[in-house]
Amino acid sequence: MKRPTKRIDAEILVIGGGSTGTGVAWDAALRGFKVVLVEKRDLTHGTTGRYHGLLHSGGRYVVKDPQSAAECIHENRILRRTHAHCIEETGGFFVVTPEDEGDYPDRFKAACVELGLPCSEISPATALRREPLLNPRISRVFEVNDGAADSFLATHVTAQAAQLAGAQILTYHEVVDLLTDSVDGERRVTGAILRHMTAGDDIAVYADLVINAAGAWAGHIARMAGIDVRVIPGKGTMIAMNHRLVNTVVNRCKMPSDGDIIVPAHTVAVIGTTDEKVTDPEHLRIEPWEVQLMLQEGEKMVPGINRARVLRAWAGVRPLYQEGFSGDTRNATRALALLDHQSRDGVTGLLTITGGKWTTFRLMAEQTVDAACRQLGVQRPCTTSQTEVPGVEQGHYWLGHRLHEVEEHRLQGDLICECELVTRAMLEHAAAHNPTVTLDDLRRDVRLGMGPCQGGFCTYRAVGILHENAAAQEQNPRQDDHRLWNIAAMQSPAHPMTANRKTAAQTPAFEPNLLLRDFLQERWKGVTPILWGSQLKQERLDQLIYLSLMNANHLPDNDLSSPLTEFYRFTSVQDGEDPDAA
Amino acid sequence: MLDLLVIGAGLAGLSAALTAAEAGLNVRVIAKGLGALHWSAGTIDVLGYLPPSDAPAEQPLEQITELGQAHPYALCGAENVRAALAWFQSLIAEEGLSYIAAAGEANAWLPSPAGARRPAYLVPAAQFAGALDRPDPMLIVGLLGMRDFYPALIAENLGKQGVSARAQFISVSEITDRRDANTIHLAQAFEQPHRRRRFAEALARLVRPGERIGLPAILGLDDHAAVLSELQSVAGAPVFEIPTLPPSVPGARLYRALRSRLRRYGVRIEAGMEAINFAADGRLIRWVETETSARPLRHHAAAYLLATGGILGGGFSSDAAGRLWEVVFDLPLSAPPDRNQWFRSEFLDPRGQPIFQAGVEVDSGYRPVDATGQPVYDNLWAAGGLLAHADPLRERSLEGLSIAAGRGAALALTRSAARQPAHT
Repeated sequence: MKRPTKRIDAEILVIGGGSTGTGVAWDAALRGFKVVLVEKRDLTHGTTGRYHGLLHSGGRYVVKDPQSAAECIHENRILRRTHAHCIEETGGFFVVTPEDEGDYPDRFKAACVELGLPCSEISPATALRREPLLNPRISRVFEVNDGAADSFLATHVTAQAAQLAGAQILTYHEVVDLLTDSVDGERRVTGAILRHMTAGDDIAVYADLVINAAGAWAGHIARMAGIDVRVIPGKGTMIAMNHRLVNTVVNRCKMPSDGDIIVPAHTVAVIGTTDEKVTDPEHLRIEPWEVQLMLQEGEKMVPGINRARVLRAWAGVRPLYQEGFSGDTRNATRALALLDHQSRDGVTGLLTITGGKWTTFRLMAEQTVDAACRQLGVQRPCTTSQTEVPGVEQGHYWLGHRLHEVEEHRLQGDLICECELVTRAMLEHAAAHNPTVTLDDLRRDVRLGMGPCQGGFCTYRAVGILHENAAAQEQNPRQDDHRLWNIAAMQSPAHPMTANRKTAAQTPAFEPNLLLRDFLQERWKGVTPILWGSQLKQERLDQLIYLSLMNANHLPDNDLSSPLTEFYRFTSVQDGEDPDAA
Repeated sequence: MLDLLVIGAGLAGLSAALTAAEAGLNVRVIAKGLGALHWSAGTIDVLGYLPPSDAPAEQPLEQITELGQAHPYALCGAENVRAALAWFQSLIAEEGLSYIAAAGEANAWLPSPAGARRPAYLVPAAQFAGALDRPDPMLIVGLLGMRDFYPALIAENLGKQGVSARAQFISVSEITDRRDANTIHLAQAFEQPHRRRRFAEALARLVRPGERIGLPAILGLDDHAAVLSELQSVAGAPVFEIPTLPPSVPGARLYRALRSRLRRYGVRIEAGMEAINFAADGRLIRWVETETSARPLRHHAAAYLLATGGILGGGFSSDAAGRLWEVVFDLPLSAPPDRNQWFRSEFLDPRGQPIFQAGVEVDSGYRPVDATGQPVYDNLWAAGGLLAHADPLRERSLEGLSIAAGRGAALALTRSAARQPAHT
């Protein structure tokens, strides 16, 4: 391969912009390494942005996977401090429904004691007073310190913390090859070639150590160095309900299985998950039976849930790893896996970190950078457990925070997404400080389009606003300064940082009609599995707006595509059959 | 006892109610909400694009026949569609709203709120000067602080299609002090003479000689004609409206004009009355029950006309198992049998989504039929968006179909009533 002319020298190159990779970049930068992080799309585009948002107490794994449980117990306490504003203190219940027979509840209780997980048994009546929609036939309830985590926000603030410590974050750059050489017969990874996904030009990054944190794609990266890493991709499907049906995380008190968790996440409730071994982490199809199963199982915890309105279905893929494992992904360990390719494969300069849970990302990073220090022959202690990320002074997230600010400051007229209470200034702030290749990037920043209308009203508004600002940008180019990037401000309608900034959007090759089409298709992909009842009616209104009113399928530039256009396509609806073929 | 109970206050229901009232029938209209007109762009679209190729229909009335025999337009017949549109045009003009066949028998092309070319057959007078085949350049003016209209986007997209257009802003505070004004509030604000004068003067400062001015469709609600004429005379330029995101002011104007027309015949539109139950003797419907705040109310009529509008209007509901049903009479529906066949993989697929073709099958007299082709009830008729074998939003045929089928069904039931006097 021809060596690119652009070159960056670093000590540590981190591959992957999910929770693990950003955690590693943060940790390594705090320890004084010169760090570059590369992510092929937006931060959290992979598994991190596609999970149910549970901050594990550890309860889910106490019986089945004590090592993973112990990691969760440890990290739960730390993240509540270091990432306070990314966490809502919901608490969690483990409920014994009439379906959950046997001795599991007693084993659960004993295992909590053994592992030191705070757990108290409360009466079903007390639980029902707190969560009136719970199944009244539950026989036992254990209370633990589960929480709800915002993985979009947490990853972005962790990345910002890494930047403030000197790391360089390159999103929309894909690793197309690893650079390797051979010294005295010993193979060594020396860096990577990155390709800019929108501009198409290449950069060579040279580093003393490359850390592969590509999650479900880690095997693909390792193969570039001729190393066989078999990540077991376990697809998990989740559905979001239109209402926050519970304010407490609800788990079934039984061996972890499909559809046994309900997590209150912002304004909605998420039911998760399935666990299916898949071959391709990129194109995940939601099968009708998965949606049915989520609703059917959810019904056992919250009766009536399958008559409630479903907003959306999506899937993420767990990067599970177990040396030599072959079997059902449900039984693969959730514990983290750190592979030192020097001892494992005789290749220096490369570490792979995979497995684990969102809850354990900081610990994964700590152990990875410890290993990096050993390989680089330096001793620098980890400080992340004592370091707070930006915005933590806001305290824990609470539902109603946005509404409170909108009402307090009379910002009703500034709302461009009424469902999720996003103001124009929040959108502008996010767009100014994050590359916006698709509107989905802004969705992850401010929750644009995540409510009941699924982008029906805000897609047009967001495109119109970004277009106005792009025109302003030509006259007044933006300045790159990540110290101005205040992601916490993006969550707050009345934050002065948001209100005062009128910076042009950071939108490469701005094509409004493409942004519009891409986001409509992205939303469509996630609603088709759950379109019936009220949500089908809502979708028809969105069709009225974009077909009949906007005529969006006859806008100019119909042939343009973005790096995400292909990703938003799905070759089939539900069963893989074209309706015409039937 | 009523001669006719119309269920649904969209364009189909109101056209049917007016037709029946003109024929001397005693009519009542009940509706769950305010009617679908508040979502519409205000134009009367007859046929914009032909399925399945998505080719633009240049001569909509002639090309109706290309839609095939199963399409509800085939039931109406091209001549009856033409006659129904002429009837609509004349009655609505008498209510002070003028609609123009802007390109004669052809479709007019107007700017959409995204700046696409949008086909329409009958055009409200306020949108007429926006016709894209005129040579004069456009000044598109937005209100700074209004969230539902983006003039720079419209101007840029029109420019890409060879239409000369530029964008400017006037602050929303020129017209209202309200911070959270929606389109309806803004339209009402334009009815204050001193405010609209100030706005008109601001327009005059922005416009260059020879330009026509495009504004969001918020130029007055009840006093619309006066607002439009004052803006044009003060600015010294033709002014036209471009539709906005819902709620639609042109749609609200049309609804109000039709409501006022109905009042002349003593017909009331009872909003907030959802039909929840009915009773029948064999094939004869005896009454329909509605939910109101106090207690269910029974409406007895000789004839019933269903115009609840399918999935969007709320006439159909559906569930996860793939069942789709008609909510008032549980009429048989023609629909894809399996939910897996409801959708295609692209949101903007020009062929549309199969589920939105689902609907009620009717006989040549607009009576809903069962699988054997027999009327389900002898005194029930149906019209509008709930008819099977059409996707009005994809074809851009919603308003034409609603007026033609609404009037057609009402004429059919009127003839039937004349032959067979109502049971007393």
